[in-house]
Amino acid sequence: MEFRNVSMSYERDYDVLKDISFNLPSGSMHFLTGPSGAGKTSLLKLMYLAHRPTRGEIMMFGRDVAKAEREDLPKLRRRIGVVFQDFRLLDHMTAVENVALPLRIAGGSGAHINEHVEELLVWVGLKDKMKSYPSTLSGGEKQRVAIARAVIRRPDILLADEPTGNVDPEMAERLMYLFVELNKLGTTTVIASHDNGLVEKFGSARLHLVGGKLLHLEGTGKNRN
Amino acid sequence: MRNQYDFLPNENKREATKLLPWVMAIMVYLSALAGTGSLILHSGFDDWASSLQGRVTVQLTGENREDMSDQSSRIQEALRATPGVDSVRPLTEDEIRLLLEPWLGAGNITDDLPIPIMIDVETSDNIYVNLDALESKIRQISDNVYLDDHARWLDDFLRLAYTVESTGLGILILILLASVCIIIFGTKSSMSEHKGTIEIMHLMGAHDLMIAKAYQNRFMKYGLRGGIIGLILSFITVYGLLILVQNLSGGFVDTPTLPYLKMSLLLLFPLIFAALTMITARITVMRELARMV
Repeated sequence: MEFRNVSMSYERDYDVLKDISFNLPSGSMHFLTGPSGAGKTSLLKLMYLAHRPTRGEIMMFGRDVAKAEREDLPKLRRRIGVVFQDFRLLDHMTAVENVALPLRIAGGSGAHINEHVEELLVWVGLKDKMKSYPSTLSGGEKQRVAIARAVIRRPDILLADEPTGNVDPEMAERLMYLFVELNKLGTTTVIASHDNGLVEKFGSARLHLVGGKLLHLEGTGKNRN
Repeated sequence: MRNQYDFLPNENKREATKLLPWVMAIMVYLSALAGTGSLILHSGFDDWASSLQGRVTVQLTGENREDMSDQSSRIQEALRATPGVDSVRPLTEDEIRLLLEPWLGAGNITDDLPIPIMIDVETSDNIYVNLDALESKIRQISDNVYLDDHARWLDDFLRLAYTVESTGLGILILILLASVCIIIFGTKSSMSEHKGTIEIMHLMGAHDLMIAKAYQNRFMKYGLRGGIIGLILSFITVYGLLILVQNLSGGFVDTPTLPYLKMSLLLLFPLIFAALTMITARITVMRELARMV
């Protein structure tokens, strides 16, 4: 994933991201850090193709996705897993159905989907909550369902916005190990986080944003765990 | 790739569009009533016009009854000898008096009144009769003979029939346009209610068509369900009105007859409305989604 002089604005004449350039090697793992309002979520939005930049190039999957045709975007989005800060689970679907969503969108059907989904939910500690609706789950449980949904298709790129914000330290660590495992399988991972302890512990490379500018890119992003 | 996946919440759950089937029922009800009214009037006009078509009335006036009677016989012979004339029948004096009564009043038709002789002529459907030539021919027998093919009346009737049918069609078009507006509004409301769901589907790589199909299938069901309810209610109303007319008229007035064959077209209304809701919902969703990245 390579950003070349990327700027982005929601309103005219005000760039929330300013001339961002970096290169994340395939299979790398990075933390995205910075104070509130620095532009972390906006940068992630560009990465998961929810927004187009106002300037610059975004090279992903061997092409400039900033200029990709609209009809090509769904196929590209299916290669990206996203954990949203506010979970964005569908309230009318059970945990199993929520996690199965990316597989169904990709055209999957049948019992093997549920089997695969249930395995993953067991792994994230939600064995007893499979048929539960999001409204009955705690914040941490919702977070784990959201993570399971993001990784169910083994995406090429995994983006997570504060994925451990609502879970206890033990679960946070466990989820981080899940990200590390996925990263080891070749998934390029970017995790936006405020948790300095976690960032220090997992010691991955860091993209640090301040006021919409990339201040520094630390490390190579190659996982050391 | 499988494009069909109903990801929308169950419609029983606080759905903005759950009243849509009832709105569609009302629209189909009004459409079916407008359609039935047009068809009954059309059928009535058809009967009326066909009773006048193929009929010609010959009217002979004069002062001398004997001369008139002689001329009438010769005119009848000439008419019978004309190819394409099926029957020739002079009206009796009583029949003519009955025709005059609405204008002159009963009992006002005295013997000294110069009542014309009238001959009812039926022409064939298969052989063309040149009425101008026929009139010239019988005018050689008497200058006081007139031939009336009811063209002026028929033109007026046809114009009235056309106006009534156009009005019915106009009402139908207005109802369809109103339905389209309601469907667009309903679709947008539903999309707004499920904005979060649509966004997630979109970000996880759902094609616009997958989202549109979920909506179009649901709205098609609304249209079909409402259409069937509306049609049944309209049939109940029409039959109820017919029974009411029959009871009130007491046999003095002809009860309108239902053109059953043509009315069977009304059975297509629920399907038409289902297709209308489906297509409108699909176009609306596709257009709304096109605004997203």
